[in-house]
Amino acid sequence: MAQDAIAVEELVYSYGELVAVDHISFKVAEGEILGFLGPNGAGKTTTVKMLTGQLKPKGGKAHVLGMNVARDAGKVRGEIGVCFEQTNLYEQMSALENLDLFARLFGISGFDGMALLKRVGLSGREKDRVEGYSKGMKQRLMVARSLVNRPRILFLDEPTAGLDPASSEAICAIILEERARGATVFLTTHDMMEADKLSNRVAFMNGGKIVALDTPHNLKQQYGKRALKAKVQTQAGELQDREVVLDRPETPDLVHKLFAGERVVTIHSEEATLEDIFIKITGRGLKE
Amino acid sequence: MNPKGIRALVAKDFTLFFRNRFFALITSLGLVVYVAMYFIMPGSVDETMEIGLYAPGWSPISGDIQQQGLEIHVAESKDELEDGVIAHEYVAGIGIPGDLMEKLASGRRPQIDLYFASGAPEEAQAAVSSLIRELIYAQTGQPLAVDFATQVLPGPDMAGEQIPPRDRMRPLFAVLLIVFETYGMATLITEEVEHRTIQALLVTPVSVKDLFAAKGITGITLAFGQGALFLAFVGGLNHQPAIIILALLLAALLVTGVGFLIASLAKDMMSVLAWGVLALVILVIPGMGVMFPGVITGWAKAIPSYYVVDTVDRVANYGSGWPDIWQNLVILVVFDVAFLLIGMVALRRRFQ
Repeated sequence: MAQDAIAVEELVYSYGELVAVDHISFKVAEGEILGFLGPNGAGKTTTVKMLTGQLKPKGGKAHVLGMNVARDAGKVRGEIGVCFEQTNLYEQMSALENLDLFARLFGISGFDGMALLKRVGLSGREKDRVEGYSKGMKQRLMVARSLVNRPRILFLDEPTAGLDPASSEAICAIILEERARGATVFLTTHDMMEADKLSNRVAFMNGGKIVALDTPHNLKQQYGKRALKAKVQTQAGELQDREVVLDRPETPDLVHKLFAGERVVTIHSEEATLEDIFIKITGRGLKE
Repeated sequence: MNPKGIRALVAKDFTLFFRNRFFALITSLGLVVYVAMYFIMPGSVDETMEIGLYAPGWSPISGDIQQQGLEIHVAESKDELEDGVIAHEYVAGIGIPGDLMEKLASGRRPQIDLYFASGAPEEAQAAVSSLIRELIYAQTGQPLAVDFATQVLPGPDMAGEQIPPRDRMRPLFAVLLIVFETYGMATLITEEVEHRTIQALLVTPVSVKDLFAAKGITGITLAFGQGALFLAFVGGLNHQPAIIILALLLAALLVTGVGFLIASLAKDMMSVLAWGVLALVILVIPGMGVMFPGVITGWAKAIPSYYVVDTVDRVANYGSGWPDIWQNLVILVVFDVAFLLIGMVALRRRFQ
């Protein structure tokens, strides 16, 4: 059985009176992509900071690759890669210099920065100072930097926020490549489509607590509904909407009745999005 | 500690320091300008001996004894004469009584008052006495029996120990170069915090201690390097170089500690500038004291850089050695430890 890459038990963190993370527990298996979703202030970043050794938990336990992050933060940091939401590169240095610096900090000898830059689509600009890069290029470099040490766990905080579709697609492809390599990915995002597409499981965080944790499919099954949406034309020539909820015992009869009794003009299937489910569970939107 | 990581961070800091046009320019220009200023300034001292004279009723003497290398300032009163000595307007003051000739004529021994500033070498005092005898001999044509009443007035006297102005400047320039690095150090750290690169560093195996070590090495190297290079160029390391180098190292440690403190207080580059200028002005004050003796009094000893300036000045300009300045170095160590500790504690809180 695969070891848990991350195991969190009753983890707590507070900023003074404000409890940012309130007794959360979850596990992430090795090689899994966990989408960590929630609105601003839900406690996602604080959780990531504790898991990456930037903050010491005020209660509970967090183990990363079997190591206690509070006790072995230095060892944990050697095995993980972190991509921050906000750009924090050395802009007076080139892309290659940035990567070489971090390779040296990780104690990697014979590091091939060019290969990594090629992988994220930055070859050809490797010697240019980062200050001249576009937002998309900087974000790709941030992702590349988080991969310098071939991390066993990759923490990505909004890696595609504000990017054009091409850059966003390129980063998603890298995330999937990393999973294929065997890395675990802890993906914090607002982008439901991205989370749905990439994640094996998603966790919804709200008010410092994890309010749901499952595969996107199971969450949709549990909290959402799949339906057929049809437009029918009445005898008077009017267009009206019809909906048949799927995955229920009576569904086949209802579908048959729809086609037999009415003139169907258009028909398509529709299923709940993760956003719909989040709103259903928490009563608030992700972007609030 | 992670030596490889620290080395990588130091190399990165130097790269960023010299890619910052302002710091690259100020560092190289500062060094060149201060060395140039040193060599442009006069390298010798005007050896004319200036003497104050108060001789009521005997004024012709002042006109008669003006000769090459001797300049007489006539005082209107005894008080004026004493003030002139204290203010270093002249090396010595001579008070000749108004009834000199009457006393001589009546066979009595008149008394001539001589005033010297404290610290005036005995040779200077003897030289002035001989000079007066000669002058009176030249005036009257015979050796006369007179008594001298010598009075030493408070205040330092540099007679016989004059230092060329440019050499006086050496401690000030060295301290200026070193102290400027408080600003450089604080800027390097504040930029890391402001641009959040510190976060990226702290999710690698590098620890906060490694970061402090790296910043400390960068700050000390930059500050010490500039101070030592300057003094090497201008001959400040010719006498007792070990003492000077130790003093510069301690000064570099001091500015690193102050730099840490400023970085912990500053929220952005503007506040680094504000705090940096304040630190710069305070730390440079003792250097002014060497340039303008008497302007700075005992309170300057509360400023840590006083002990750097005083050490460099006394060793490079007056040939002092370990027995004379070891106390300065001990006090500097205490200041260094205090500033580094306060700076690191404050900065650690900022990092977290």
